[in-house]
Amino acid sequence: MEITVDQSKLAKALAIVSKVATSSRTTLPILSNVLIKVLNGKVTLTTTNLDMAVVDYLPTSSSKNGEITVPARLLADFVANLPKGEVKISVKETKITTTSGKYKSTMNGTSASDFPELPELNEKEAVIYKIPVDDFKDGMSSVKIAASNDTTRPSFTGVFFNTDSENLYIAATDGYRLAERKLISGISSEVKAIVPASTITEVLSSISDDVEEVEILFDESQVCFRMGEIEITSRYIDGSFPDYRKLIPNSETTAESIELILKRDEILRVTKLAALFAKEVGGSIVLETSASKSALLVSSVANEYGENVSEIETSVDKDMKVVLNSRYLLDAINALSSDEMKLSMFGGLMPVKIEDAKDTNYVHIVMPLKG
Amino acid sequence: MFDVWKNVLEELKKTISSEKFNTFFQKTSLISIDDGEIKIGVPNIFMQANIKKSFDKNIREALEHNNIEVKTTEYVIAEANKVKKKSREVVSIEDIKPHKSRTYISNSPAKSIETGLSKDYTFENFVVGTNNDLAVYSAKTVIDDPGGKRNPFFLYGKSGVGKTHLIQAIGNELLKKNPNLKILYTPISHFYSDFIAAIRSKNPDSWKTKYENLDVLIIDDFQLISGKDKSQVEFFNLFNDMYLSKRQVIVASDRLPEEIKDVDVRLAGRLTQNGAFDIQLPGYEEKCAILQAKAEYEGKEIEQKAIEYIAENVKTNIRDLNAEYEKLIALSELRGMTPLEIINSGFSKPSVSSTRRNTTAKKIIDKTAKYYEMSTDTMLSKSRVAHIKNARQVAMYLLQNELHLSTTRTASELGMKDHTTVMNGVKRINTEMKLNFKLREDINILREKIYE
Repeated sequence: MEITVDQSKLAKALAIVSKVATSSRTTLPILSNVLIKVLNGKVTLTTTNLDMAVVDYLPTSSSKNGEITVPARLLADFVANLPKGEVKISVKETKITTTSGKYKSTMNGTSASDFPELPELNEKEAVIYKIPVDDFKDGMSSVKIAASNDTTRPSFTGVFFNTDSENLYIAATDGYRLAERKLISGISSEVKAIVPASTITEVLSSISDDVEEVEILFDESQVCFRMGEIEITSRYIDGSFPDYRKLIPNSETTAESIELILKRDEILRVTKLAALFAKEVGGSIVLETSASKSALLVSSVANEYGENVSEIETSVDKDMKVVLNSRYLLDAINALSSDEMKLSMFGGLMPVKIEDAKDTNYVHIVMPLKG
Repeated sequence: MFDVWKNVLEELKKTISSEKFNTFFQKTSLISIDDGEIKIGVPNIFMQANIKKSFDKNIREALEHNNIEVKTTEYVIAEANKVKKKSREVVSIEDIKPHKSRTYISNSPAKSIETGLSKDYTFENFVVGTNNDLAVYSAKTVIDDPGGKRNPFFLYGKSGVGKTHLIQAIGNELLKKNPNLKILYTPISHFYSDFIAAIRSKNPDSWKTKYENLDVLIIDDFQLISGKDKSQVEFFNLFNDMYLSKRQVIVASDRLPEEIKDVDVRLAGRLTQNGAFDIQLPGYEEKCAILQAKAEYEGKEIEQKAIEYIAENVKTNIRDLNAEYEKLIALSELRGMTPLEIINSGFSKPSVSSTRRNTTAKKIIDKTAKYYEMSTDTMLSKSRVAHIKNARQVAMYLLQNELHLSTTRTASELGMKDHTTVMNGVKRINTEMKLNFKLREDINILREKIYE
């Protein structure tokens, strides 16, 4: 087996695939290896941690079929430090030789037959969506923040893909807050699947600048993200996701509600200020509207250090008070991108809803703390 | 029996390297061993592929060494429930429940394009109570004899009481009995827009292809035909055509045809010639039963007390009842608390729209008298004139059913001494309502009015 490929392209590909190979599950040594494979002219690099697999199609071809695995990190670091130009990889038995001009290394590989079998995606049956890359990136990163790390409730550690009659949505929650985004409209298929948030993180960091759209394929037992020459396949999280849409309050079904249009940097600043004092009390801050002052008051009390209150002028006709965790509110505000945002309150025991002032595709709700 | 898996794992440990064992067998389980057809639970598809490929032989041997006959092995994805055990021992089998993967994909939407029926509406998940038993009974006669003596089948009742559910359940059941039937479920508005679209197109008769040759036609929201004269004529023709050739027509509406503005008298008469069946708002017991059935159907756990709380607080219709239940379940799954804990914590308040219903005894009495066009005094007099007595009994019925007053209390609200008069009056209304459309309609209208 012999491959010749551009150094920068190989380095980039190895950087992406080696992230999965060096992840924490090291029980089986071969999982930290990358599988280099030539099959029918196509050259692929593959790594897996048995939760997901990353495959990179190298922009080159090779005539002789063959496969070998080598420690991914070592090869990635070696190639990254080579000068620009062509890199030649040749394999003899289990020895792999990498050459670039005067630089040359020989590594001990392991036979590919020990490398885990990767399940094949059932492309015929799969439900497929194509999503413009910017929508994909914005959507995933703004929703993923609400997912949990707590593995005792597995379905909360993932991003929930779901559909109604025409839209594809993604949602995530940790039980205290919830984010949802409409990804695309005009679909004619159904999906209900929880994809690990860690997979989404990997996918996001593997999208290169020249990718224009991300293709997502769901089959019965795995999901595949295709972006350019990279393909990430992942297991699902087996579990059920709450029927969350019932939890998003709206002014029509709730007795009392207040909608505030706020400047995003202003509410961001006062929340940060209040958060400083809130550390002592587990991050809890108070949002209070005052009709007489025409203002939103954001305050916090730290018994030891003192207290803080900030006022944002805004038109409001009702008094309402809700206690929130400042960290969750900050995350929600940071997930928005435009200058103006809408904050809706529905009473002290109801979630607070945070949206862009104009864009209605993204909703974030934060559950209240008991004041 | 499942201790067997522990032994199998112990044996596997000896035959394969500890690295491989730790990588692949940590979250496995033995699900069933039916006569040698072995099912083994594995955590995900990656594991599935590899365990099957690399260790099937080892597993078979280990099972056989434990005196288990092995004909076939199947590896299914079933994540072992996480257990907080510190030791590296494999999860004890009692903690493992294989459960169906909740992942779902489909290249077609849930609603069938051909029939318009949604598979979620069945008789199995339709709760029968005194508010709808007659309608359900008649619906079943349609299934036994489509196009027969219950043709047409006309169903009416307020919005959100389950009309759509019942008529679609008829459709689904008919289809189950005879998959070759050509059935179409459609709201009248779609019929109307198909018709309009055809008129605008070059081929004015093109809409007919969809409606021709149907064995069963199910029309929903029939009241919306009001004012659509042209499509009414077309519908009448279609109806006649189907009726004469003994093909079943099922119609649901929120009121009787004669009460819909601008509906042709002949059509109205034809639609209800075999009777009209109504669904009433469910009472407290029915509401509890509906929620109970829903929870069972979905496999959700909810305390009886929580069900009672929802049933007490949602006073409008089944749609709101379901919405409230779903909200509570979602919140409980989200917070990791039981539904009752959520209610007690105050995090769940029924939506205003479903509870904004308050009325008083005085209001009920006044509105009833006004509705029957007599003074309150006349109604409450001891007159035995039929229509006055009827009004008085309706008031009794409403006081009991809407305010849940006791018979004695009802009697005193009406200025009467003898509570048995109330008992007899309410009993008469209950019986009469089953037979008398007019009375039923009166009471339905009053039910709205007393909350205005």
